[in-house]
Amino acid sequence: MEAVWGMLPKPIAALLQQSLVGPHEVEEIRIRISRPLEVIARGKARLLPYEVTKEDGVHLLNKLSHYSMYAVEEELKRGFITIEGGHRVGLAGKVITEGGKVKAIRDVSSFNIRIAKEQVGIAEPLLPYVYDGRRFRHTMIIGSPQTGKTTLLRDAARLISSGTNQMAAQKVAIVDERSEIAGCVKGVPQFSFGPRLDVLDACPKAEGMMMMIRSMSPDVIIVDEIGREEDSEAVLEAANAGVSVWTTVHGRSLKDVWQRPTLRVVMEQKVFERFVELTSVPRPGSIRRILDADGSILYERAVASR
Amino acid sequence: MKWVGALLILAASTWLGTAASRLLHERPRQLRQLKAALRVLEAEVMYGHTPLADAADRLARQTAAPFSELFARFAAALNAGETSAAMAWEKSLRAVWEKTALTQGEFEVMLQFGATLGQYDRLTQQKQIALALAHLEREEAEAVDHEARYAKMAKSLGVLAGLLLVILLM
Repeated sequence: MEAVWGMLPKPIAALLQQSLVGPHEVEEIRIRISRPLEVIARGKARLLPYEVTKEDGVHLLNKLSHYSMYAVEEELKRGFITIEGGHRVGLAGKVITEGGKVKAIRDVSSFNIRIAKEQVGIAEPLLPYVYDGRRFRHTMIIGSPQTGKTTLLRDAARLISSGTNQMAAQKVAIVDERSEIAGCVKGVPQFSFGPRLDVLDACPKAEGMMMMIRSMSPDVIIVDEIGREEDSEAVLEAANAGVSVWTTVHGRSLKDVWQRPTLRVVMEQKVFERFVELTSVPRPGSIRRILDADGSILYERAVASR
Repeated sequence: MKWVGALLILAASTWLGTAASRLLHERPRQLRQLKAALRVLEAEVMYGHTPLADAADRLARQTAAPFSELFARFAAALNAGETSAAMAWEKSLRAVWEKTALTQGEFEVMLQFGATLGQYDRLTQQKQIALALAHLEREEAEAVDHEARYAKMAKSLGVLAGLLLVILLM
């Protein structure tokens, strides 16, 4: 959290620190110019009595870019910046386009600071479903935004790369396009992982997966949020190269994933052997169902009130 | 007693002359150093995408005084959380400028250059660096010319003026 406090303009940081009971429970800090500050903690949104000024916005953007817009060119194109500690800051404002493509965001008016959380141990209950005693099965984690997909994936990476009593550690390669899984700063992962881990930071997924397979001979390859056509191809390549693929996908259920045209190929080939559906009820990271390649349910959380 | 005074006057005026000539010698040399530093900065921006503070830190270690101090101050100001890169640059420039042999014209060039730091994408930043380099190039040509013309003269002028004063006072 220190990285976030250091980033924020002083009045905002001071207000947040005194108005929050448990700072580690913050999920998002939303900063919009000329509008009150918003904090989301434990799933509840709260507006704080402070109107964000233009100077605050400039200051924050300067801090985020380390005073160097040229260094965050790619990030401005994609609309978010990853900061120390693996936290992600989403940006919105006036977009400059060139030839129909987004070139940068200028005059940033909204910042959304998503606090990355490390929840050591949440992937452990998955282990009997995804590990067959020798290798890890190809696994897809499905969830809507803010259901803890990346957090679960991160802990899976930790678990696989450090091993347990019943399972030896395996070589894990993370292709971290958004610098979100490992939250690298200058190439060094910010979260706790096992020793057998290699990270390709800020590398496009499709290309990065092939690079990792060729250069690092991983047992398990971990990528975040596949969605584009070339990602699907790379997943197929990797899976057929004998590497276990773990990934996340936006969606509420397995049915939603089937609807995604870009993922059609992967789904039709039945590459993935396990699907983990996440829900944010009762809290982010809760596993709703685990399904196998044919869609039969291996595990379903007992739901009392629905 | 008289002779001691005469010698003191001569020594002082000779020293003034050499100082002026050293300044003239220093200026083109420092301009070359500054140009080299800007080229390194350009490489850091274009190929390394290095943020300004890190690039300045590296430059501080690569360049000689007084510019090493300029970049060190700049990096420190950025890391301390100055409001803007232009402001940090201006402050460090003003603090160090007295120690250089450079003139007001060059100060303006560097100040203008600082106002563009970190504001644009890579290509535009590169253009701004190239612009500053072109300006410095021109200043350097002038400085070399001045050096050839006046450096020797300043030195002899110092000695001769001292002699004149001594003769007049004797």
